[in-house]
Amino acid sequence: METDVQLVARAQGGDRQAFAELVRRYRDLVFRLAVSILGQGFVPEAEDVAQEAFLKAHRSLCSFRSEAEFSSWIYRITFNEAVNLKSRARYRRPHANETALAGRMTSEPGPDEQVETAHRDQALAECIRALPEAYQSALRLYYWLGVGVGEVAELLDVPENTAKSYLHRARSLLLGMMKDKGYSCGGT
Amino acid sequence: MAEPEFNEAEVDGLLRRSMTAPIPTLSPEFDQHLMSEVSLRSQPLGRYQRGLLAGYGILSVVACSVSMHGQGLDWTTIAASILGPLFLVGVAPALRLASRQASP
Repeated sequence: METDVQLVARAQGGDRQAFAELVRRYRDLVFRLAVSILGQGFVPEAEDVAQEAFLKAHRSLCSFRSEAEFSSWIYRITFNEAVNLKSRARYRRPHANETALAGRMTSEPGPDEQVETAHRDQALAECIRALPEAYQSALRLYYWLGVGVGEVAELLDVPENTAKSYLHRARSLLLGMMKDKGYSCGGT
Repeated sequence: MAEPEFNEAEVDGLLRRSMTAPIPTLSPEFDQHLMSEVSLRSQPLGRYQRGLLAGYGILSVVACSVSMHGQGLDWTTIAASILGPLFLVGVAPALRLASRQASP
């Protein structure tokens, strides 16, 4: 199997098949990173971000220095694209929020408990949205998308200990925020 | 009413319980859309566009040179100020790429 360096060199020479192979290698991780930054209500936007990141990479391939890792480079482009889009679309409501809540309401027993859980999850989602971007992304990658700490570190282009620290600090901040909102984390 | 006690493990549990939405996946046509967009965007300029661009470039250089000469600059300085940046923007990256591809 060809290495990224070999594929990048071929793609720089105009070989589209080599670039297509790079896309195949990184599309899922790039999409996960985008969706982890934008949140679960913005899946179509995350796909657009993934596409735009690859198009930007293709456009700037000539200036890419092969001493750097292609993966780090494409993740950095994706992170910036997603954060830019998010800042432009901050006023919008996510697509899936109400649907997700409705699904949860019908699948759990006890109407009071359902309402309480839905409200608590809503409060938690609001608290998560108030965290710094890197913390939000780390939380969604780890808890929602099931990505391991090592891969979280790779996607956010930080050392593994920093990724662990992001998760720890995010949990600590959420603890305080949920407490301020009067929610018990241990209860249902 | 006394505030309930919290700890990080409880937040961990809450996050695990709350973030259970299905994991999204890319649409199956993603590669196809992306590569057709890549082809579209990397198409070389047509004859008409190239002519238009070249004409615009030449006209700009002439207008700029005449204007600078009118301000009292000599032709050597004008040529250096136009060709220097052109070399840096256009030729140097191409040379760098060529040397990188030539090296093993």
